[in-house]
Amino acid sequence: MMTMTTVITGIAFVAVHLVLAYFVFRYSGRQKAEHVEDNPRLERTLLLITSLLIAIMLVPGLFAYSQVIAKPSDRLVVEVLGEQWRWNYRFPGEDGIFGRTDVRLITSDNVFGIDPADPTGADDIVIVGGPLYLPVNQPVLLQFRSKDVLHNFWVPEFRVKIDAVPGTVTESWFTPTREGTYQAACAEYCGVAHYVMTSEIHVVDAAEFEQWLAALPTVAQAQE
Amino acid sequence: MTEHQQAAVAGGRRSAWREIVADFSRDVRTYPFGWSKAMMWIFILSDLFVFGGFLAAYAGARMAATQPWPDRGHVFSLTIGGAEVPLLLIAIMTFILISSSGTVALSVAASHERNRSKTAALLGLTLVLGACFLGMQAYEWTHLIHEGFLPSSNPAGASQFGATFFMITGFHGTHVVIGLIFLARVLLRVLRGYYDRIGTWEQVEVAGLYWHFVDLVWVFIFAFIYLI
Amino acid sequence: MATPAAAAHAAHEHHEPQSFWRKYVFSLDHKVIGIQYTVTALAVGAIGLVLSWLMRLQLGFPGAVGAVNPTNYYQFMTYHGLIMVVYLQTAILLGGFGNYLIPLMIGARDMAYPTLNMLSYWTYLLSVILLLAGYFVPGGPSGGSWVLYPPQSITAGTPGSGLGITLLLASIAVFVVSATMGGLNYITTVLQMRTRGMTLMRMPLTVWGVFISAVVALLSFPPLFVAGVMLLFDHLLGTSFFIPTVNVLGTVLPHEGGSPLLFQHLFWFFGHPEVYVVILPAMGIISDVMATHARKPIFGYKAMIVSMAAIGVISFIVWAHHMFASGMNPFFGYIFAATTLVVAIPSAMKTYNWLLTLWKGSIRFTTPMLFTIGFVSTFVIGGLTGLFLGNVAVDLPLHDTYFVVGHFHLVMGVSAILAMFAGIYHWFPKVTGRMMNETLGKIHFFVTFLGAYLVFFPMFLMGFQGIPRRYFSFDLVAFAPSGLDAVNAMVTVAALAVGAAQLVFVANIVWSAVRGREADANPWQANTLEWQTPQIRPGHGNWGPKLPEVYRWPYDYSVPGAARDFIPQNEPEVAVVSPAAGPEPEGAGR
Ligand code: HEM
Ligand SMILES: [Cu+2]
Ligand SMILES: [Cu+2]
Repeated sequence: MMTMTTVITGIAFVAVHLVLAYFVFRYSGRQKAEHVEDNPRLERTLLLITSLLIAIMLVPGLFAYSQVIAKPSDRLVVEVLGEQWRWNYRFPGEDGIFGRTDVRLITSDNVFGIDPADPTGADDIVIVGGPLYLPVNQPVLLQFRSKDVLHNFWVPEFRVKIDAVPGTVTESWFTPTREGTYQAACAEYCGVAHYVMTSEIHVVDAAEFEQWLAALPTVAQAQE
Repeated sequence: MTEHQQAAVAGGRRSAWREIVADFSRDVRTYPFGWSKAMMWIFILSDLFVFGGFLAAYAGARMAATQPWPDRGHVFSLTIGGAEVPLLLIAIMTFILISSSGTVALSVAASHERNRSKTAALLGLTLVLGACFLGMQAYEWTHLIHEGFLPSSNPAGASQFGATFFMITGFHGTHVVIGLIFLARVLLRVLRGYYDRIGTWEQVEVAGLYWHFVDLVWVFIFAFIYLI
Repeated sequence: MATPAAAAHAAHEHHEPQSFWRKYVFSLDHKVIGIQYTVTALAVGAIGLVLSWLMRLQLGFPGAVGAVNPTNYYQFMTYHGLIMVVYLQTAILLGGFGNYLIPLMIGARDMAYPTLNMLSYWTYLLSVILLLAGYFVPGGPSGGSWVLYPPQSITAGTPGSGLGITLLLASIAVFVVSATMGGLNYITTVLQMRTRGMTLMRMPLTVWGVFISAVVALLSFPPLFVAGVMLLFDHLLGTSFFIPTVNVLGTVLPHEGGSPLLFQHLFWFFGHPEVYVVILPAMGIISDVMATHARKPIFGYKAMIVSMAAIGVISFIVWAHHMFASGMNPFFGYIFAATTLVVAIPSAMKTYNWLLTLWKGSIRFTTPMLFTIGFVSTFVIGGLTGLFLGNVAVDLPLHDTYFVVGHFHLVMGVSAILAMFAGIYHWFPKVTGRMMNETLGKIHFFVTFLGAYLVFFPMFLMGFQGIPRRYFSFDLVAFAPSGLDAVNAMVTVAALAVGAAQLVFVANIVWSAVRGREADANPWQANTLEWQTPQIRPGHGNWGPKLPEVYRWPYDYSVPGAARDFIPQNEPEVAVVSPAAGPEPEGAGR
């Protein structure tokens, strides 16, 4: 998509500028301008060509978009919490269910505001400030929340971007296909330290990921 | 030949569409009346978007609210003889404002006949009705504030209710105040015979337009905030 | 027949001579008001420019200017953005050019309602004062970015989230009131005050551009006003329109149940049309200047008007393309991508028509013409990059990166500014009776135009790399390519050069106003009415005892068989009937 748009617009840019430059030099300093009748046919032709090119970009774009927003079925769910100014992550733990949260319960020891009364929260795993490990070739569904203002989780290589909006949960997904170290940066202005809001992300093989996750304390363990 | 008849008609062929275009693009003046009336229409269009924005925001805020929306029948009720009558005050207010639309329309009609005393009397009546509306609205506000309704919170449910209520009715009330000032000025000028001197009574009509608009908007506010 | 305005004018003229205050300060004359608008806007614009240097210095040479820290960087950014878009461009193109040119171009004596016009300027000045007052209150000005997204803009993590943001919102509300008063006048004047023979289809495109822009402004500023008032309520009265329950830096705020997205919808319902409010008058100015200096009728006059109107209408249904990544219902992505790409079609048509206007023309390389050609170039690149950002799937990786910064600077920043310069160089002789210096003008053009490319083109490449915008420093950005620092330094140098070129411009204005070569009545040999006034600097009431009468469209340049290569609109001999002009109006002029 990006390539095609770049090619079409690139050609249009060069073409228009060539024409512009040619006209400017060819018709400068002449004694008298020639009389040119308005030419509705020409205008219609140009209109048609332009519309066609636009359609060529738009239609595949919309198909690509439908793929961007279609959620994968076999997926690893990770919750991402934006806060001024760091990223926090949460895994649902063994039961596969995130414990209920409430912004009012947030403290420095409970950055997600997990409700202690909800038993499903006890085995959740919380990572404050990162780094986040993800298994390679495994579709990942990220669920975003924010405790304060808008943030946006931006990893250029994953090519997805969505705001973390306080008061609601937003989602995006991707499949990391190459092992390595990546970085998430914040791409929605969130106050004076917006530019330091980065977090490391490691894409590793499945075994290493399991190992890493198993070594992390659950919420219950951390409280002891 | 008057200016309006001098419509510049493009080409020899005449079709309805062409005539509309030609009519609209006639030289000197597009609309066959003075600029102040045209300007008022344009202002009304713009102001309509302000109210539209407020009402759209009201819808958005109401959909987003996490607390239940208050029961308006209960909130806006008057207790008469021990019985709670829902929406009584507001029904009277709406009736008064709509009546004032009627009186202002009659006043404009009288101004077309250049009937000074009749125009003035009807304008005066409109002023009285408008002032009544404002007084009742002031009563409603104090009553609600007394019961703990504030823009930031209220005892009946979602805080956005109080916030939108005060914001939108307040904004409308400001329009009514401006309308009253406008009408009062026109009334004074009618009484002094100013419009006879300048040869056009159009200002009465312009003030009337504004007043109709304020009333019309009220109907929507009434429907959205009090009823739906 | 005497219109009320004409009657008022007659009454008015008895009071001459006017006092100094009445004539130059609290003037009702549209020309004086237009100049007041222009000068004020250029002065605030200069502040916006200086702020951009400070930001660029930090980005190009981090730490070199010790005084720039994150707090004031973000304050600079906010003020720069708002000043440039609202207080400079909107004010100068509508308030400055609109005021000065509309009555002259349509053959009216003044605006429909001069008092309202004067009030419009003074409320504008008040909004500017409120804006700048932010720098003198405790906590400093707001650093909420020009889009002011809540909760960020009114919460503690953002600079100036106390009094600063209050003043900023008040200033915006006052500006909306001012723009409304102005807009009412522009529209009414165009509709109701044209002189004999000046049908709508004989109006110069500048008037059309300002007219459509004023309509768009009148319908798009209301949501901004609404959003500003609501944000002010959230900030001052503790309402919860836009703020859900949040915990900001350890404190739970007393809000609940608000929707941050609601603000974004309201803001962009204003914000997108706003860019067209700026660009439509610019398009009009470009069309007129181009036709005059290429000595050729504008190609496709009707198509130009239709496409401007189409742009105006479509601009109201594309707003959510700024919100593809906002977390709104993803279904909207399809609709708004489609509407956005559709708006490219009329824009492209305009570009073709400009090119075809140059075709076979007799181009005079005057300074205004150079700026016009520059405009076509930057408008094209800005518009083409807009196709990336409008197409939702392509936008998602680019959203909030430097690609966006490059795009909007070229299309609305640079293009509209070039049009503004074209207009200033073109109409300066009208305003002052003197020509501007051509050499200084050309230096100004080439440095500005080429500099703008050097500044903003690299930003597209940065955007492809994913470099996010609104970053005080890129030190922590691990994916920043190694060459980024060098590019940033180059961009900063270019930006400073562009800035210096503006000093040349200011010097040129000042020098030419006093010492410039005296201009003839019609120095560019233009057809439009403003050049046909009795004096080169029209007095109060613009025309002599008799209003001009119009017999033809404004683009009778190089008509075959005509004695000269231009035929002013008020020239009666029917040498040729141009295609767009109707039959001659009957009857004598008044
Ligand atoms: C030489 C001229 C200019 C330079 C060097 C310049 C530079 C900049 C810089 C460095 C930023 C901050 C980017 C960031 O940190 O993400 C910025 C933002 C911005 N500029 Fe300019 N600018 C110039 C002219 C203009 C003009 C003419 C406009 C008018 C439309 C404009 C509108 C904006 C806006 C709307 C923003 C965004 C502010 C925000 O993010 O809240 N700029 N500019
Ligand atoms: Cu951020
Ligand atoms: Cu837009």
